[in-house]
Amino acid sequence: MTLRYDAVSYTYPGTSIGVFDVSLEIGRGELLAIIGASGSGKSTLLKLLAGFVKPANGRILIDGKDVGELLPEKRKLGVVFQNYALFPHMRLWENVGYALKVRGIGKAERRALAVEMLARVGMGARADDLPGMLSGGQQQRVALARALVFEPRGLLLDEPLSALDAGLRVEMRDEILRVQRSAGIATLLVTHDQEEALSIGDKVAVMHEGRLVQIGTPRDLYETPVNAYVAAFVGQSNLWPGKVTGTGRIDTEIGALACDTKGKSNGEAVIAFVRPERVQPTSPSAVAEPGHFSGTIEADRYLGPIRRIDLAVPGGRIRLETHLRGPVTSVEIPPDAIRLLPVS
Amino acid sequence: MQVIAIAYLVFLAAPVLLLLLGSFGETWSNTLLPAGFTGRWYEEVASDPSFRRAFFTSLQIVGVTCVLNMLIGFPLAYAIQAGARGGVRFAARLVTLMPVAVPELVLAFGFILVFSSDALPWLGSFWLLAAGHLVLTLPYTVTALVADMEQLRLDEYEHAAATLGASFAARLSDVTLPLLRTSLISSMLTVAALSIGEFQLSNLVAGFLSRTYPVVLLQAFYGATGFACAATVVLLILAALASITSSTTAQIGAFEQKKPQ
Repeated sequence: MTLRYDAVSYTYPGTSIGVFDVSLEIGRGELLAIIGASGSGKSTLLKLLAGFVKPANGRILIDGKDVGELLPEKRKLGVVFQNYALFPHMRLWENVGYALKVRGIGKAERRALAVEMLARVGMGARADDLPGMLSGGQQQRVALARALVFEPRGLLLDEPLSALDAGLRVEMRDEILRVQRSAGIATLLVTHDQEEALSIGDKVAVMHEGRLVQIGTPRDLYETPVNAYVAAFVGQSNLWPGKVTGTGRIDTEIGALACDTKGKSNGEAVIAFVRPERVQPTSPSAVAEPGHFSGTIEADRYLGPIRRIDLAVPGGRIRLETHLRGPVTSVEIPPDAIRLLPVS
Repeated sequence: MQVIAIAYLVFLAAPVLLLLLGSFGETWSNTLLPAGFTGRWYEEVASDPSFRRAFFTSLQIVGVTCVLNMLIGFPLAYAIQAGARGGVRFAARLVTLMPVAVPELVLAFGFILVFSSDALPWLGSFWLLAAGHLVLTLPYTVTALVADMEQLRLDEYEHAAATLGASFAARLSDVTLPLLRTSLISSMLTVAALSIGEFQLSNLVAGFLSRTYPVVLLQAFYGATGFACAATVVLLILAALASITSSTTAQIGAFEQKKPQ
């Protein structure tokens, strides 16, 4: 059971926003997380797959079959909505059993299946309650049960955790992953929370202005972003515009850096990209060498296990993360911590 | 402040109280308050054939207006909420709200002009009067329903039901109508309250045999004061009943919607 977008485009009527030429595939049992800023088109991708809007170009395939003309009720996809959309006038078992009711399954069997599904998400004892009596996290579980009870061909999650508190969000994140794994179902997760995406996505896709910028494993995305946008959007980053000045050497606004310049020609404009945890505090002796900097602390954020420090250096600023507790005045940026990204 | 508020309330309530008193008084002419006590004015109103006919015509008109509002207003509101975007939505709203902005008198003259022609000779008929009441009350139904649909986030529930496999008909009967139940009842009662008291259009459009209660009521003031008072009190009670039930239903509905949050 696979879900596939094949060169899909859609523009909202009367605007120039939408999604453009997006191709991606979600394999059986795989969880693909789509992240992007608001208006990047990530929710539109979900609406296209669910059938709430029709693509202007391209095809949407479920198990290899084009479903472009199929109404949402014929697509057999489970959807968990941002505000859960549990029917307020139906008991929990009726909510979960609704998909079975419209498929003509009798009341007794429906109830049994619904209660069993509710038990799988830890809500079995509340089958006769109304949704209004539940907390956000509980509603989330019921919404998940409702979306899975009819053995859908795919699971779509639209910002499923955005309405929850930070602590509960982490717990529910694991819960979603557990249920998704046990159902072994192709899943699309739309979120603006990159931490959520990186932690549960088998693959993560980054959308920007309606286009798919990069898709890869969380590790690919974090360590080898294709451009400065992805680098800045996923995690913390240092990005310094500069120019290649010789083999293994670039000049940036904060000074000279030594790094691998393979594939870049002399004089080419680049953006040097360094994750803050790769910047190492040093003793202030070796300042003259490339990649060594001294400065003063501009901001020092205590985050528990680490400190996130902005170090003001001549020409710019270096952001670093360190577990050291003492003062930091000099840092070293090792050559293998630097990646050169194209100037867009 | 309090004095002003009380004075205003007295000013508001005084005519109603005087009507009540007058309806039970034997005689009332050139005095501040009526003299004597009697129930005969109510008996007379009840036995007057033209009042009886008008009373039942009014009830029929109210019933038909409510049914038509439901049959036309609900689909219209649904279409505006579900389908219309931007310009179309604005135009649909404008058209439904127009009768509120246009004076009833203008509307009535329009009806007279159009429906007294040989091609459309329906002036004075029951159904034309019902159509007039529909035009006047539809804006309230549509506005209230569209607002409730948006506030309920009906589209989200419908999307949810669709992804679960529910056809349009199943969504309508299992989700849309149950969620809008109180909203529908409350707007129908508002329509009833408006329709019961409607005078301007009815007075000009109704035929002699299809006169509604408020139209006939005007005649009462040419006769005995007690009779006029009693006839007015009957209308007052009818209208008040509809308004009070309407606002209570709306409140119960609002309470039920708030509860789940």
